[in-house]
Amino acid sequence: MTEKELIFQLKQLRTIKPRKDWVVLTRSRILGLEKDRFFLGGLRIFPLFRFFRYKLTLAPIISVLIIIGLFGFAQQTVPGQLFFSLKKITETAQISLSSPIEKPKLHLKLANKRLEDLNKIAQANEVENLLPAIEEFQMNVSRAAEKLARMDLNVTSSDPLVLKEIVQESQKLEENKEKVEASLGIIVGDTEELESALREIEKQTAAYLIKDLENRTLKEEDKNLLAEAKEDFEKENYSRVLEKIWRLVNYQ
Amino acid sequence: MFNLLRKTYSQIYDQYVDKIYRFIFLKVNSPEIAEDLTSEVFLRGWEAYKNQNKIKNRENEIKNKEIKNIQAFLYQIARNLIIDYYRDKGKAQLVSTENASLADLNQNLEEKAILNSDLDQIKEALANLKEDYREVIVWYYLEEFSIPEIAKILNKSHSAVRVMIHRALQALKSLLVSQK
Repeated sequence: MTEKELIFQLKQLRTIKPRKDWVVLTRSRILGLEKDRFFLGGLRIFPLFRFFRYKLTLAPIISVLIIIGLFGFAQQTVPGQLFFSLKKITETAQISLSSPIEKPKLHLKLANKRLEDLNKIAQANEVENLLPAIEEFQMNVSRAAEKLARMDLNVTSSDPLVLKEIVQESQKLEENKEKVEASLGIIVGDTEELESALREIEKQTAAYLIKDLENRTLKEEDKNLLAEAKEDFEKENYSRVLEKIWRLVNYQ
Repeated sequence: MFNLLRKTYSQIYDQYVDKIYRFIFLKVNSPEIAEDLTSEVFLRGWEAYKNQNKIKNRENEIKNKEIKNIQAFLYQIARNLIIDYYRDKGKAQLVSTENASLADLNQNLEEKAILNSDLDQIKEALANLKEDYREVIVWYYLEEFSIPEIAKILNKSHSAVRVMIHRALQALKSLLVSQK
């Protein structure tokens, strides 16, 4: 690579940007909190206006109630509608606060919710909201795939339930997606990346668990089940391998 | 007065948030950690910004608390936070190939794949580059800061910065060659 090419490539790194919703949320978190603190500080500065204190404290209480009301109302909205951004803030906060293990599952749940929104949009014939809802769906699927690709094998193998829930959510997503695509007559997005990430983590987890079980003393019945699981592994049917291992270790 | 402060700092935030995020991300290689550290940078920046403005309004106050260059100030906080992060957590510098949303939709898939692979290598090399070198490369080539601007951030002479940029680029090239 020549120096010129290297510099050109370096400039391409400018496309690395933080998530837009995170930027907005962080700005309001840093500057918004301060506003309230300043307001209460003002009350201390002017003790003569104590009489107004109670009335003044009503203002933030009413504001909080209005905000709660708005957030409540926003939960009924679909992408493209006015207050959907509030709903998104709640969802983003929920994901931010969750553990890395929970994140892929939450993104899949959100993708499923967006499919439900697409159904609502189709029923209400709100064509203008179709594109934002599809974009939101695709974004969540892509995030889920991203988080899955980064999942720690130590976690999935020590707690196979985590992966089982993700698999179930992913199956639900596929079913819902097919239904929505059939009713709308359009393709809402590609889940190839998600499937491939899921398949990879399933494969790694299955391989790890088979190896682990091979080193354990098993009952005859369990040995047979493990042999079947190994056959399924060779056939690259990793979901079935995990199902059998889950049965074997009494997770079902 | 307070609203004016908020408005001004909000503009500063909008102007620098992408740059500071990028600066941190190219070191820590994790969007979550980059987000955490970036928000900490702006939180600390806001505390200092607000306090220096309070000081400005009073007479006979210490003058040296004034932020002379907000850009240099924010980058200084970011640099300190990165150092603290690695020192406190004793983190190994993980190299990831994810998360840069590189969008040039006009490129065909093959070109895009080659470009992404090159960029991943550069990201990896940058994360492994000496701290000072990585910083000047990001500032000069990515953010296109001028030599005087970088000199202000690093508190070094213009010629020293020029030499450092040259050496940093050579070091990056060598790292890329050794990676291959």
